[in-house]
Amino acid sequence: MASIKLNKITSVWIISVLLLFIVSIVLGILMRLNQGEVISQSPITFYSNMTTHGLTMIGIWFVAGMAAVNYIMERYVKTSYTVNVLALVLTVIGILMFWASTFIGHFHSAWTFLYPLPFKEMGSETWATLMFLGSLTVLGIGWLIWSISLMTQILKKYSIPQALAWQHLRKNPTVETPPFILISMITLIGVIACLLAAVVLLVLFYAEYFSNGNFVNDALLMKNLTYFFGHTIANEMLYLGLAVIYELFSEVSGRPKWKTTWYVALAWNCTLVFILTAFFHHLYMDFVQPQGFQIIGQLASYFASLPAAGVTVFSIFIAVYRTRIKWSLTNLLFFIGVIGWVIGGLAAVIDSTISNNIVLHNTLWVPAHFHTYNAMGNVLFSLGFFYWFSIQFSDKTKVKKSTTLTLALLLIGGIGFLLAFYIGGAESIPRRYSIYPSELSIGASLATIGAAFASIYFIAILIFFFNISKRCLKILFSSS
Amino acid sequence: MQQQSIFVLFLVLAGIATIVFTYIFISSKKAAAEEKGMSNPLKKRFWFSLILFVILCIFITATIPKSPYYLFADETPARVIHVSAIQFQFILSEKAIDPENPSGESHIELPINELVEFRVTSLDVNHGFALYDSSNRLITQVQAMPGYVNRLRYKFKDPGEYKILCLEYCGMAHQVMRSSFMVN
Repeated sequence: MASIKLNKITSVWIISVLLLFIVSIVLGILMRLNQGEVISQSPITFYSNMTTHGLTMIGIWFVAGMAAVNYIMERYVKTSYTVNVLALVLTVIGILMFWASTFIGHFHSAWTFLYPLPFKEMGSETWATLMFLGSLTVLGIGWLIWSISLMTQILKKYSIPQALAWQHLRKNPTVETPPFILISMITLIGVIACLLAAVVLLVLFYAEYFSNGNFVNDALLMKNLTYFFGHTIANEMLYLGLAVIYELFSEVSGRPKWKTTWYVALAWNCTLVFILTAFFHHLYMDFVQPQGFQIIGQLASYFASLPAAGVTVFSIFIAVYRTRIKWSLTNLLFFIGVIGWVIGGLAAVIDSTISNNIVLHNTLWVPAHFHTYNAMGNVLFSLGFFYWFSIQFSDKTKVKKSTTLTLALLLIGGIGFLLAFYIGGAESIPRRYSIYPSELSIGASLATIGAAFASIYFIAILIFFFNISKRCLKILFSSS
Repeated sequence: MQQQSIFVLFLVLAGIATIVFTYIFISSKKAAAEEKGMSNPLKKRFWFSLILFVILCIFITATIPKSPYYLFADETPARVIHVSAIQFQFILSEKAIDPENPSGESHIELPINELVEFRVTSLDVNHGFALYDSSNRLITQVQAMPGYVNRLRYKFKDPGEYKILCLEYCGMAHQVMRSSFMVN
């Protein structure tokens, strides 16, 4: 059972994530309105907002997944409350430093801060780059300590082969590894690996920054490190969400608990390999990258879909198909989130095909696919957890009409907002343009439509925010 | 056009996924009266995964040989154009560009149906070198990376003005970084 302290800190995580999500959505809508020429921001304001929007979104949904995994992990192993608090404090400090660098210092190198752009920005304050690097350092330290702490707790109870469920690859395993532990372990390995890459990346940035021109980095190495970190963390946050689904979907549906089988163990171990090598697809258009890496990028991106579809998605099919399910908002959000994850995955596999990437790379197809599996996938996984967590301590309710309306707003807003991106990608509209050139004016029209639909999605999120935060505040200020 | 085919393929796949999930959701609603579940789930899972594996292998086999690294790899280019990207302009020249004193030609004309090689680099940050045809369709691209030269080969099939846009975010004036050339 979770302790009162764990309930309270999980409540703080949930309220903080939802608050920051609202700010980030507003920034996103402002960006689309600016691209639609409905409002007029200076390019620096636009790109600073874009940087804030991107990194805040990545950060909050990563910590949302971590907070959920931390909460549920208490069912199996003891977790450290102190580390959880430390991660929260460092995340808050890191976000404040990051926002200072963008909102006050006008840092605008995008959340990918591709080397050497942070050193060659124009129009930002001289301290902004160092503040940004400092914010990443603080966030990275907090998240690394948190990830290592959770992994250490798992390894106190399970050996490494057991935590990776290797005994399930043989017949009649004597020790059973719960799917939640297996997926958490696989995900934490990936998270730690990519955060260590971020450490190397930051050290190289600092080395050049403080060398007074005596040390210059290699742009190709820095790009590989950037995407090993960036791609991996953005994907691992989805897997944190999946760990929660493996634990809670059957539970809230009134079905028997999912068990680890040989194919679940095999699939997730394969996923670890694919997730750590798929990032190469971000460098397809760098023809100087060794060709072997480019091919690995496509193979890993393609085959990552196999365990995802053959095991996770098919397990959802088996759990639901012609089965009496106790539908609630929690498992509905999980179910719809899996659809968003699959559809975003399909668009991602299309883009990860090298011969397609040459006409899709850095067009609006890219935000189209990652917004699909984030805004309509991962966000829904976390909202499902948030809702499940928040109603544990209040009167449980069935799916109400207002809930159906909220889901409808979420779906209509989400689909319209995403379609504007996909059509933009098919129309060769570049991503990360504050405004579009006259010959690509369809980009402006699509941006306006996208902003309108994103506003509908935003209303649904506001409703979730008020309902969930109200209950979480009660948990936070209750004495038991 | 390739992008239209990709978009249609995506819509079809997304539509199939939505129909399958909706059908499965509805089946659970109907199961309130009689619960049957899925028969032979392990066998179905095996076939589902195998079919998906075969489809992925077919796509891999069909698409990897079409990767830009292998296109025109054995041919000798009829023209070579040197490209240096710098915040926020493209410098194009038939001669090698001096990074200390970069300068190019204001007007570039390229031949139709002949192999052209663009040798693309950057003098500051990462940029994208993306070619748009006269109907404003992205036809090919490569990255411009400081310290490296990427070689992009292409045969232009239609005459007209081609635009170059930067497709890698490079700072505050990224959206106006552009150039053009003629193909005759």
